Amino acid sequence: MAGMDGPVNDALLRLGRHLRAGTVSDDLRTLHQIGGRQADAFYRDRWSHDKVVRSTHGVNCTGSCSWKVYVKDGIITWEAQQTDYPSVGPDRPEYEPRGCPRGAAFSWYTYSPTRVRFPYARGVLVEMYREARARLGDPVAAWAEITGDPDKRRRYQSARGKGGLVRVTWDEATEMIAAAHVHTIKTYGPDRVAGFSPIPAMSMVSHASGARFVSLLGGTMLSFYDWYADLPVASPQMFGDQTDVPESADWWDAAYLMLWGSNVPVTRTPDAHYMTEARYRGQKVVVVAPDYNDATKFADEWMAPHPGTDGALAMAMGHVILREFFVERRVPYFTDYVKRHTDLPFLVRLREHPETGAYVPDKFLTAADLGEESEQAAFKTVLLDAATGEPVVPNGSLGFRYGPEGEGRWNLDLQGVDPALTLDDGEGGSTTAVALPRFDQDGASGGADGVILRDVPVRQVAGHPVTTVFDLMLAQYGVGRENLPGQWPASYDDAQAPYTPAWQERITGVPAAQVVRIAREFARNAEESHGRSMIIMGAGTNHWFHSDTIYRAMLALTTLTGCQGVNGGGWAHYVGQEKCRPVTGWAHMAFGTDWSRPPRQMIGTAFWYLHTDQWRYDTYSADVVASPLASRGAFAGKATADLLSQSARMGWMPSYPTFNRNSLELADEVAASGQEAGPYVAAKAASGELGFACEDPDAPANWPRVLTVWRANLLGSSAKGNEYFLKHLLGAEGAVRAHEAAPEQRPADVTWHEQAPQGKLDLLLSLDFRMTSTTLFSDIVLPAATWYEKHDLSSTDMHPFVHAFSPAIDPPWQTRTDFAAFHAVAKAFSALAKTHLGVRKDVVAVPLLHDTPDEYANPHGVVDDWRAAGTVPVPGRNFPKITVVERDYGAIAEKMAALGPLLDTLGTTTKGLTYQVTAEVERLGRMNGTVRGGVADGRPSLARDVDMCEAILALSGTTNGHLADQGFATLGRRTGTSFDGLADSHKQITFADTQARPVPVTTSPEWSGSETGGRRYSAFTINVEHRKPWHTLTGRQHFFLDHDWIHEAGEALPVYRPPLNMTVLFGEPGIGEGGEQGVDGITVRYLTPHSKWSIHSEYQDNLLMLTLSRGGPNIWMSPADAGRAGIRDNDWVEAVNRNGVVVARAIVSHRMPTGTVYMYHAQERVVDVPKSEISGKRGGIHNSLTRLMIKPTHLIGGYAQLSFAFNYLGPTGNQRDEVTVIRRRSQEVDY
Amino acid sequence: MNALDVLLWVVAPYVALTVFVLGHVWRYRYDKFGWTTRSSQMYESRLLRIGSPLFHFGILVVALGHIGGLVIPKSWTEAAGISEEAYHLVAVVLGTIAGVATLGGIAILIYRRRTVGPVFTATTRNDKLMYAVLAVTIVLGLVATVMANIVGGGYDYRTTISPWFRSIFYFQPDPALMAGAPLLFQLHALSALLLFAIWPFTRLVHMLTAPVGYLTRPYVVYRSRDEQRAGTRAPRRGWEPTSR
Repeated sequence: MAGMDGPVNDALLRLGRHLRAGTVSDDLRTLHQIGGRQADAFYRDRWSHDKVVRSTHGVNCTGSCSWKVYVKDGIITWEAQQTDYPSVGPDRPEYEPRGCPRGAAFSWYTYSPTRVRFPYARGVLVEMYREARARLGDPVAAWAEITGDPDKRRRYQSARGKGGLVRVTWDEATEMIAAAHVHTIKTYGPDRVAGFSPIPAMSMVSHASGARFVSLLGGTMLSFYDWYADLPVASPQMFGDQTDVPESADWWDAAYLMLWGSNVPVTRTPDAHYMTEARYRGQKVVVVAPDYNDATKFADEWMAPHPGTDGALAMAMGHVILREFFVERRVPYFTDYVKRHTDLPFLVRLREHPETGAYVPDKFLTAADLGEESEQAAFKTVLLDAATGEPVVPNGSLGFRYGPEGEGRWNLDLQGVDPALTLDDGEGGSTTAVALPRFDQDGASGGADGVILRDVPVRQVAGHPVTTVFDLMLAQYGVGRENLPGQWPASYDDAQAPYTPAWQERITGVPAAQVVRIAREFARNAEESHGRSMIIMGAGTNHWFHSDTIYRAMLALTTLTGCQGVNGGGWAHYVGQEKCRPVTGWAHMAFGTDWSRPPRQMIGTAFWYLHTDQWRYDTYSADVVASPLASRGAFAGKATADLLSQSARMGWMPSYPTFNRNSLELADEVAASGQEAGPYVAAKAASGELGFACEDPDAPANWPRVLTVWRANLLGSSAKGNEYFLKHLLGAEGAVRAHEAAPEQRPADVTWHEQAPQGKLDLLLSLDFRMTSTTLFSDIVLPAATWYEKHDLSSTDMHPFVHAFSPAIDPPWQTRTDFAAFHAVAKAFSALAKTHLGVRKDVVAVPLLHDTPDEYANPHGVVDDWRAAGTVPVPGRNFPKITVVERDYGAIAEKMAALGPLLDTLGTTTKGLTYQVTAEVERLGRMNGTVRGGVADGRPSLARDVDMCEAILALSGTTNGHLADQGFATLGRRTGTSFDGLADSHKQITFADTQARPVPVTTSPEWSGSETGGRRYSAFTINVEHRKPWHTLTGRQHFFLDHDWIHEAGEALPVYRPPLNMTVLFGEPGIGEGGEQGVDGITVRYLTPHSKWSIHSEYQDNLLMLTLSRGGPNIWMSPADAGRAGIRDNDWVEAVNRNGVVVARAIVSHRMPTGTVYMYHAQERVVDVPKSEISGKRGGIHNSLTRLMIKPTHLIGGYAQLSFAFNYLGPTGNQRDEVTVIRRRSQEVDY
Repeated sequence: MNALDVLLWVVAPYVALTVFVLGHVWRYRYDKFGWTTRSSQMYESRLLRIGSPLFHFGILVVALGHIGGLVIPKSWTEAAGISEEAYHLVAVVLGTIAGVATLGGIAILIYRRRTVGPVFTATTRNDKLMYAVLAVTIVLGLVATVMANIVGGGYDYRTTISPWFRSIFYFQPDPALMAGAPLLFQLHALSALLLFAIWPFTRLVHMLTAPVGYLTRPYVVYRSRDEQRAGTRAPRRGWEPTSR
């Protein structure tokens, strides 16, 4: 062909002049016609619309992207990204547009077949309920009869997950729900009612409305951040902070950026542009990931450690940095930073280790050890003045935080003292060998390992041999100095001694030379830019059993190099926390603390671990995590469940259901006794008359009975140990293949029932807008409004804005907003409760709390187990705090709909700062109107969702500058420093503002960073720049932890711990081996990272997104593994281990490392899941292969930063250490 | 002449043609944006590149041959001095070549459609029916020609089938002409009628909108706005422009 032009074409075009109207240009290129645009109308109609409404996507995505929702003829038609984010300034890229294909596909759900349009209930249950209700004439009696009859109970429980949901009316549904709640509270106690809803930031009102209902009842709200294993426990350990991280625009400020276990283009899609753009500013990007992931193609360098060995890589980098930047050469910026902002100069007492005869690091030296008798002297840590060599008690440690003497002294001002970083004077002062544990050799959890002896310089202070944390760090990292004897590595090339680059190469597979180079670059960049080296870290490193050690090794890099608290530097952990910026307002609404305190807040992981009976399958002792140097015997011979109950009875961690009897009846007993509740309960517990529910979780009286799940998909997404959930919690069919613990492996303190219960829950209630695994297993499903059908608020850690959800349409069919649904439930409940329950007293046990003086309960972190000692416990010290709360059950609905009076008297409290909010309450009364009559007479109304939005905004410092200002003034009195000018005291964000445009928040003491003057948010900048202490023992960032249990685990200092060895723990085949008996195939590590085509389970059932991916369940594997197992791309495979079975298609890709498979997170049973050949049941979900394993050190409480707060500290529901056998199955699949 | 003959050669043709015409009108009005070939080139192009031109150019020649044979009366060609033998020779040679090309083309296309996964996945039941009827019609036509002319002694359809075909359009249908034709020709005609009847409801509609206009059209087209109004949609009542 001659191409476009030529004589033939020209001739044809000339011919065309005669064939149609219009004028053809002389060059034959254009045709001009008159009219003929009628067809345009079609395209105009296609994009015409009646209105555009601002909303966003709630719950499960960090994006918090503001969207335009288009409505035409009352139908939601499509959505598009909003582009009106306030500018971040002239010198950097903007936030807009934010959004990804997942968000753009959301409106499909509105009218999709998966939409829940009517209330549903399990058919057999409804039949029995109607019959009993008609016969008995009382809903509560009917519910009591059905759940009290084992046969009837079994009938509907065993039907869970097998269809049979029938339509019911809202009135009938709420009546059943109310009856279940009333019956449970009356019979078993309010703490047998539980609620689960995660991530409040992404729809604060929807979260708060349900949480408020549950909390006002005295029910238990379950944590999610730790349960999701998204909580980096290293953060409370090191920073005394839940998690605080930079916004994504601050990535632009980084000069050196590492993406470590975080796949930003996939999981932080709307923010990834900052990473790609910053490269044009000269930023170097290093990706650390075992697979060739999407981020890798943006990287200048790629390091691919074996999964779970990131800690070794980080330790080796730390080794290089300590040697080259602290010993061989001292970088002034680093030295100055660590002296002011870390615990490195603080003195640690050494203790003689009985077995080895060497010394081991023990506890921080405190003012009490110096004989000082000031207030809380045991919580004032000590350092040495480099000039005088004398011990000094600097300001800022925990001892200064709460008492009157500390007023004005809780700050990081060293007052002219130059702390000695090391006791090594270079002149041959005295030294002593310390024994340090190593876990890199072999054994169950990387336990049963070696001990290294290395000398540290030592000095006697007040009769104690002491050294500095810095000296211990050098010993731990194997950074020798000339005059110190010990087993030091010969050089970087010493592959045997931890923690050299060559040593890590043996473990991670990453070339030693590359590690040395990256470590040097990272630190060198931080030195030259004063802290602008950043590590974005994610679930790839954070979902392991030993993630806290991995993170501590990684955070050591950013902390040693002075990057924390600097714009463009430090850690950037984006795993699920999704910052609720107006945190104070939300928390007080959600937990009903305007009406009654304290609320019941439970560590989710422990709750599920006990009540799904996963503890019964622990065939190992807790001391597999113990250090070879453990000498206190804290874990020896104990089951994890024992430690859990110990933690609960000492008041370390919360435990709900709490006691083995109804807390309402317990309150009656207390009242009858005429005693104070605390001593009464403590005495009864000591005598054994009163037991803890967690010591007998399988006794029917201690089961959770009612569980409400909203804004969540527990059973399709987060339920690690899915098959155990189905079997034991729900009484449905599960595919558990594991064996229960043998008698010698069972817990000593927890009662063992020969027959494990199946079906603990009486009622599983879920509220959702789409059918999920959770709704399919629920007894009652309430149809929820979508995110385009309600008023709410959204914020995130990724950007500094608060913006609105607004209804584009009214909730269609019989759907209701979560707010309206819970109010309907509360009204039905109150009507029944008025007569059945009335006004009751409730004994509430709460653990020792973070950011309160409870942190003083256990000086030096010494375990104080009253039961072991045989003493009567003291509530608030070695026992939970006991409070009696009055509950007017007939008035729950009224209280929900009004702002309660406790705000006037107690104010609001966040992170230890209390705010007076009378002016805000008064203003809310005028904005929302006040209630007339009833218990809430005269109080500001919260009758509408918008009212609650206003309350959240008005009561939070970030959105109400007046409060932020007040908080900084309060804080300033404690620190004795000034925070003037940080808060914009005139800023007052209303809901209408957030509907108009995303609004930037103001700097507030609720968070640790500053947005003042349009600055990009980065965590801890207030600490660094305003000398405000971290909320830790020393008031500084901690490398060293001195709690008893931490020492027992050998984790006082950053350390490398390998992934758990499932062969040793559970007898699973080793990685690379063939399958277990009877199952051919190959054994591989089983990881469940987040995918490109979904946000958790959401969008995996969305036709638009299914079209973009392969669709249906799939497992990614390497060609080598696939070849060995005879698997070809797209074959049906089964993955099987003791926890269950999954059926999926194989995706064979070179991107995958050998020995590891990925089953992307939360692929549900609702799309294309066939039956398994092995179980004969429907082929499972990603969590069918996982289970919970609790790390004992996460249960520590009651000591400085290691104290409980909701979603701040608790055992993680990790799942990455798991292995599976993967095999090719028959390609004929059956549904 | 019995009732069956009337049904087959009078009623059926009119029904088929009516459905063909009205069906297209209906389809154009009701499903304008579904008026498409539903091309599968995106899924597979190697076989398509051979099969599609083979089929389409073949069927074009076949169609021209049918017009020549059915529409032009024998008397006209004879008047033009073309002998029956000469006409027959040309028709059989050209027809067989074109027929074999068409058959080969559709065989490749059907093979491709069945064996290439993504193409088969994109195949509807409607497509399957259409392919069956189309293939049967082509095969019957070819077999009838071969049987009559190459194996047999030749059959002059221009004295029977062609006048019958024309008689339909004169609205003076003569079923007797067709009733006497050989069975294979009858079957071919019937399957063709069925093909025309389902035509408007299949992807075959693309025949009517083959984009031949592009051959002679400049590729940049400007259409002026209607001067009467700002938009292209008639203003609703109460929203008419107040001046101009």
